[in-house]
Amino acid sequence: MFAGILTLWGQYFGNFLGGLGISLEITVAGLAFALVAGAGFAALRLARFRVLRLIGTAYVEVVRATPMLLVLYIMYFGLGQVGIKLPAYWAAVIALGTFYAAQFTEIFRGGIQSVDRGQREAADALGLSRWQRLRKVVLPQAVMTILLPSTNALADIIKDSSLVITIGLSDLMARTYEATSATFEPMDMFLLAGVMYLVVYLLLSRVLGRLELNVQRRHG
Amino acid sequence: MFSDVMVNSTPSDIAVDIRSVTKKFGERTIFGDVSLQVRQGEVVALIGPSGAGKSTLIRCVNCLTPFESGSIMVLGHELHGTNEAKRGPSREMLKSIRTETGMVFQSFNLFPHMSVVDNVALAPVLVLGTSREEAREQARELLCSIGLSHRVDAYPRHLSGGEQQRVAICRALAMKPSLMLFDEPTSALDPELVGEVLGAIRALVDRGMTMMLVTHEMMFARDVADTVAVMADGALVEIGPARQVLDDPQTDRCKSFLSRVLQQKAPSANTSAPSMGAQIAADAPTQEHEQARDTDRKRKHAEEVER
Repeated sequence: MFAGILTLWGQYFGNFLGGLGISLEITVAGLAFALVAGAGFAALRLARFRVLRLIGTAYVEVVRATPMLLVLYIMYFGLGQVGIKLPAYWAAVIALGTFYAAQFTEIFRGGIQSVDRGQREAADALGLSRWQRLRKVVLPQAVMTILLPSTNALADIIKDSSLVITIGLSDLMARTYEATSATFEPMDMFLLAGVMYLVVYLLLSRVLGRLELNVQRRHG
Repeated sequence: MFSDVMVNSTPSDIAVDIRSVTKKFGERTIFGDVSLQVRQGEVVALIGPSGAGKSTLIRCVNCLTPFESGSIMVLGHELHGTNEAKRGPSREMLKSIRTETGMVFQSFNLFPHMSVVDNVALAPVLVLGTSREEAREQARELLCSIGLSHRVDAYPRHLSGGEQQRVAICRALAMKPSLMLFDEPTSALDPELVGEVLGAIRALVDRGMTMMLVTHEMMFARDVADTVAVMADGALVEIGPARQVLDDPQTDRCKSFLSRVLQQKAPSANTSAPSMGAQIAADAPTQEHEQARDTDRKRKHAEEVER
């Protein structure tokens, strides 16, 4: 029986790997989107003007109240209905980006606000501009507080990328599903997919863990 | 110490002119209608009970805290209360004031992610446009002059509180300020580390630096300050020559504050008239000791360099 599983896994491994490639592609693209948008919305949430802060807060609250699947459906089916027909691939990337931008907004804001007020005052008293203060004093100290929850968010994006099966993308989850109907061996197929997600996660957490250690060593 | 610190002077004889400034936090008035002048080269010590607004007042001088009404003239720049001016100080004016004014905080606030020398060299590079090499060289010289040559490449977390505060003083001096603001510079220090920081401040006083110093070290204030201003209950209750105010206070509020502070420090001298002379005598040996240790350290370093 054990040999049976391995043969089956060997048979589908290449196919699954292709699916995993697509999963990782939309994850990375979605992450890039989320990081940029998250930085932007974090800047809004920390802005001097109340209107800007309000916009940032509204975005975070609305998106956080919305399930990822609903965001995906709006980007694909919803926008499609009103005439903005995005390809499934881009709908997936934008949905992941939009959703996780809200998470990163809060991660960045929390990291920046965790830096002691005295640090900002010291920078001000020395005559640094706001931008210099942020870049040279605040951000380097916020890195540690930002890195840890970012690792978690990244692991979540990979897992949430499996939702794109519902809009017809051929990612790892979709190919697993197809394989189960072809082989009638759901347990074996789902296990293989699970192992692949696990390997990706372990690689990621090791790499980011090492990065954290490096930052910690540098900044204490 | 600080042989290379240049004390700039601006045309006017008055470095800081605080004119009936009122500061509120929400509804609560921190202090009201405070007026105070600091001449070029003058050392003004602000003393008084906690919560009297001493720190807030000097924070108003370099715009870390806005104030509601009145005006402050700092080194020729005019600041107005938020109730009176339509707009806050311009970015250029803010930068000028902060560049020409050095501040030392109670909690040091060194940048923990930078080495000591980078802490000191950062602002000259970013704000004055000094080259990196030149700024670091100047930082090293400043740190050497304060007896920290062996700590140049260390990180703040590896330094004692006294060393951190001395680095913070160097960081402020690196901008070549004409006015120094000290916000309780020794209040967060272990008692045995206070002397080295006071020694550094005293060296600056000897160089003729203009200073506003918030402190609870009455002996030190009496010793180095030209003028002592006593703040209590949201007002400036007494101001005058340091020795006169501390040895012979005129107002009741000031008398009661001083007698409480001095009795606390010297329970044996339980007299209504605070006898400061005795305590100065008691203080002196430790300061001498600190200085001796400092020169000792410098000598050691010089020997190392020679080798």
